[in-house]
Amino acid sequence: MPDEPPIERRPQESERPEYPDAAQRPRVGVDTWVAEHGERVQRGPLRRAAERVPGWARLLAFVAVAAVFPIAVDDEYLQRVGVDTLIFMLLAVGLNVVVGYAGLLDLGYIAFFGFGAYTYAIVSSDKYDYHWPAEATIPFILVVTAALGLLLGLPSRRLLGDYLAIVTLFFGQLFVTITNNSTDVKLPFMDRARDLTGGPNGITDLDPIDFAGVELNSVPRYFWFALALFVLVVVALHFVNESRTGRAWRALREDPLAAEAMTMPVNRLKLLAFAFGAAVAGVTGAIFASLQTAVFPQSFDVSLLIILYAMVILGGTGSLAGVALGAIVVNVLLEGLTNTDDTLPVVGETPPRLLFYGLVAVGLALIVRPWRWLAVAAAATIAFGFAARLVAEQWWERGTAGRPSQAGRIGDLVDGWLLFPRDPVDIGNYAFVALIASVLVLTLLRRPWRWIALAPVLYLAAFVWENRLIQEPSVTRFILLGAILVGLMASRPQGLFGTARVEIA
Amino acid sequence: MTEAPDTVLARDGDRPAPLLELREIVTYYGEINILRQVSLQVNHGELVCLLGGNASGKSTTLKTCLGIVRPRTGRVVFDGEDVTGRPTNYRIARGMAIVPENRRLFAPMTVRENLEMGAYLNGGGVKEDFDRVYELFPLLHERRSQLAGTLSGGEQQMVAMGRALMSRPKLLLMDEPSMGLAPILVERNFEIIKQVHEAGVAVFVVEQNANVSLSIADRGYVLQTGRVVLEGAASDLLQNEDLRKAYLGR
Amino acid sequence: MDVLALTPWDDWSIFIQLCVNGVTLGSVYALIALGYSMVYGILKMLNFAHGDVYMIGSFLGYFMLTSGLDGPMNLAVPIWLALTLVLLVAMLGAGLLGVAIERFAYRPLRNAPRIAPLISALGVSFFLQNSALLLFGANFRTYDAFTLDGGVLFTKGIFEAWGKDDAIALNLPLLNMLVIGGAIVLMILLTLLVARTRLGKAMRATAFDREAAAMMGINPDRVIMATFFIGSALAGAAGVMVGMLFGQVYHFMGFLAGLKGFTAAVVGGIGSIPGAMLGGLLIGMIEAFSTGYLPEGSKFQDFYVFILLIAVMLFRPTGLLGRADIAKV
Repeated sequence: MPDEPPIERRPQESERPEYPDAAQRPRVGVDTWVAEHGERVQRGPLRRAAERVPGWARLLAFVAVAAVFPIAVDDEYLQRVGVDTLIFMLLAVGLNVVVGYAGLLDLGYIAFFGFGAYTYAIVSSDKYDYHWPAEATIPFILVVTAALGLLLGLPSRRLLGDYLAIVTLFFGQLFVTITNNSTDVKLPFMDRARDLTGGPNGITDLDPIDFAGVELNSVPRYFWFALALFVLVVVALHFVNESRTGRAWRALREDPLAAEAMTMPVNRLKLLAFAFGAAVAGVTGAIFASLQTAVFPQSFDVSLLIILYAMVILGGTGSLAGVALGAIVVNVLLEGLTNTDDTLPVVGETPPRLLFYGLVAVGLALIVRPWRWLAVAAAATIAFGFAARLVAEQWWERGTAGRPSQAGRIGDLVDGWLLFPRDPVDIGNYAFVALIASVLVLTLLRRPWRWIALAPVLYLAAFVWENRLIQEPSVTRFILLGAILVGLMASRPQGLFGTARVEIA
Repeated sequence: MTEAPDTVLARDGDRPAPLLELREIVTYYGEINILRQVSLQVNHGELVCLLGGNASGKSTTLKTCLGIVRPRTGRVVFDGEDVTGRPTNYRIARGMAIVPENRRLFAPMTVRENLEMGAYLNGGGVKEDFDRVYELFPLLHERRSQLAGTLSGGEQQMVAMGRALMSRPKLLLMDEPSMGLAPILVERNFEIIKQVHEAGVAVFVVEQNANVSLSIADRGYVLQTGRVVLEGAASDLLQNEDLRKAYLGR
Repeated sequence: MDVLALTPWDDWSIFIQLCVNGVTLGSVYALIALGYSMVYGILKMLNFAHGDVYMIGSFLGYFMLTSGLDGPMNLAVPIWLALTLVLLVAMLGAGLLGVAIERFAYRPLRNAPRIAPLISALGVSFFLQNSALLLFGANFRTYDAFTLDGGVLFTKGIFEAWGKDDAIALNLPLLNMLVIGGAIVLMILLTLLVARTRLGKAMRATAFDREAAAMMGINPDRVIMATFFIGSALAGAAGVMVGMLFGQVYHFMGFLAGLKGFTAAVVGGIGSIPGAMLGGLLIGMIEAFSTGYLPEGSKFQDFYVFILLIAVMLFRPTGLLGRADIAKV
């Protein structure tokens, strides 16, 4: 819509008024709304500059960098993070078809991932004594998960977004329940009770994928395999997206009713999107299972779903590059927040601390305007800290009895500034609740008060982080992810790389 | 926003301040400019109509009066008070009432409950309010326990009018009262509007139907592509060449 | 025991027992479903965080019970007062939490694309769950209701409480009766509130047409806030009831209960208050009966509930008591 050139207004002969000042006078009864549309639209600054780079060039650049990653990084942990990231990227791109293209809120997506993984486990382990070759397994999983997607989509045929959400959410939960409980099951057609899925212990000792003579026996090989699959999916998606189906999906997302009125086969399109997403998830599940050499029900629970949604939403639904980038950012963030063992070189600090203080700083830089207030807030926070420390040394002996629980440059820096109570768990819990409350209140305060209250709240955040959150990294990262999702929705619902849709009231 | 609110309220002494005044309202939906510097006023006890074709910004003007749409610049002054930043319910409490486009009744609620909602800020209405409305529309008394969604179009229009009058408004806003009604009902409708006006309530009618509305109005404005292009006494407007061409087809 | 062979005709006392369990569970689901349905009715959004409000309510009741009444403070009050206090604290706390969630996570998104509040709700749910994990730990906490008044709630059957002999060999604990009774009282109060009061009418008006309601002078934000408070308070009450019934609470309990409440709301017809009650009851009964009479029902109750959901979606997409016009989003 903003791309059409402004149409020049030229009075038609028939309606030219006879007044001498005719050109200046607004004419009554001529609907110029459409004609003047161009000048009515305010153009923002040039956005989407990055999109000028053609898609294939971006993909090529990414592949070039990614392909050398396992060689350049000679660290099995980091390589593993790389494979996980690729798996997440595949999942996110698949989910993006369902959510971003077709606009369906699929909350059972993880079940397809799990189904693919379990199918792989069943046909590639001693559990049932099947050892299919991967050349057969992977197409098989592709077909089976796509079929399952169609099947789940069927009752959702006439369903609107919200009903679909509940059916799929339940389906996702059902997958976990069934895999968890099918240890000693006797169904009507069976002669005796059997262990179908291994229950919480899962199915273990899976065969590695052996595809076209190449056995995936090392992490780098999995990396390249996943990368190849990612390229394949992205290229396939590109063609689908440019096709009639792709356009129809977008129309469906914008307005299902209108799409139906245009005689688009809405149901078939929905099913297609569902099946497509499911197939991508299923095949990714096979890689995941073989990489882990085992499958467990708890790998496919609702946490993974929310992480995936965070990736897709953060990147911006609908944008292929966006969701892929979202997957990278979120996975690196989550990994970094739990990695408390390694102190990074150069900066001399553990990743969680850097990430936490970095996130706070970036968040502040985005919110606080003008930026000189940032300096004021930082100075006030530092001053507040020393004051609090002084007060505590006088009257609250317990408050200064502890030490930072982790070494590191930042740890040394905050040691004389923050309060470190003895046995900080209880105090930390109360402070955590107080922190949530005060951040919420902070958003309600008006200008001068908001900046005045900022310093104690920042101090409280540092206090909670150093005394409590840093102790439980695996929980903390999810708390942060939840908070980021809520904050992102409130500030930029279209995600970081999505484009805003103008909704006319 | 060039003037401080105080100076907005200061008027020259001999004329009473208008009941409702829009001052240079500029409105956008997203990036699209809808109203461009619309100024108009409705005096106490006056019947004013705002005419305009499709997409001229009529409805947006009305929504701006009500606070459903917030202007980017400009001020809304009601009864001597700057209400620009105030929410809809505040303005209703100050004495506005509206008969919305397409009536917007609460279909799953009874006629009586609909009327109660009209007097929501007076605690659901006292007996006199109901009596007054039932006197104006005796049919509503008969239908009071019926669900509003089951009424005919004309009856629904009565409920919408009655509902608006329940709050004893100083200013009655009407959005396209003739829309979707049979010509005979349109006339009835404007008959009632006139009646309400004669009872001392200021009325601001937004209409496409220039003929009917100008015939009962004191003054009128013509809106086009977000600008007021004509204004004046209703009788003058009825004589205006351009207007006749555009709206009256003569 | 080979559950497959069992039919109601084999043992009527089991049948009655399952009915009691089903109704008890059903009334809890109904209370949760009401919150979903009310919020959906007014905002047209699925409040995924509702189950976690229920979880927090359950924990609040737990802390009230263990530290306020039974534990350190050891207030010596009669058992009925103790139960009322626990219930009130949980309802108030959950209600306030619901209001806070609405205010901070959903209100900024009133005019955003429809998916935004849903994602925000997922974020709130995730945040609450993991915050609870941080604060309360991963352990199950045991509601100490059993020690209340020597365990009278559990050991005494209802007939015994009346001073009669347990003649029909039925196990109808007083607690189940209290839960069912409490839920019924709450639902009657809610129905009256919605049908009769000014707030209730404003809620219905706002649910039908928010903008038109604002044109009547109703403050939609305040009505939405009240809706969240009431719905969340009901979830808090359900949390206490479940804590008492099953004796244990943990941080993840909200997910499954929320899912069931959700399903109940959809099965009954989302947005409909009687529908939520009916849906809750139906799901409670299905779960109870599946443990008794369906193949592997004690393991796969969820599966049978899912079948019900799919069946309703196929044959009556607007839910059992839902009106067709609600489906237009």
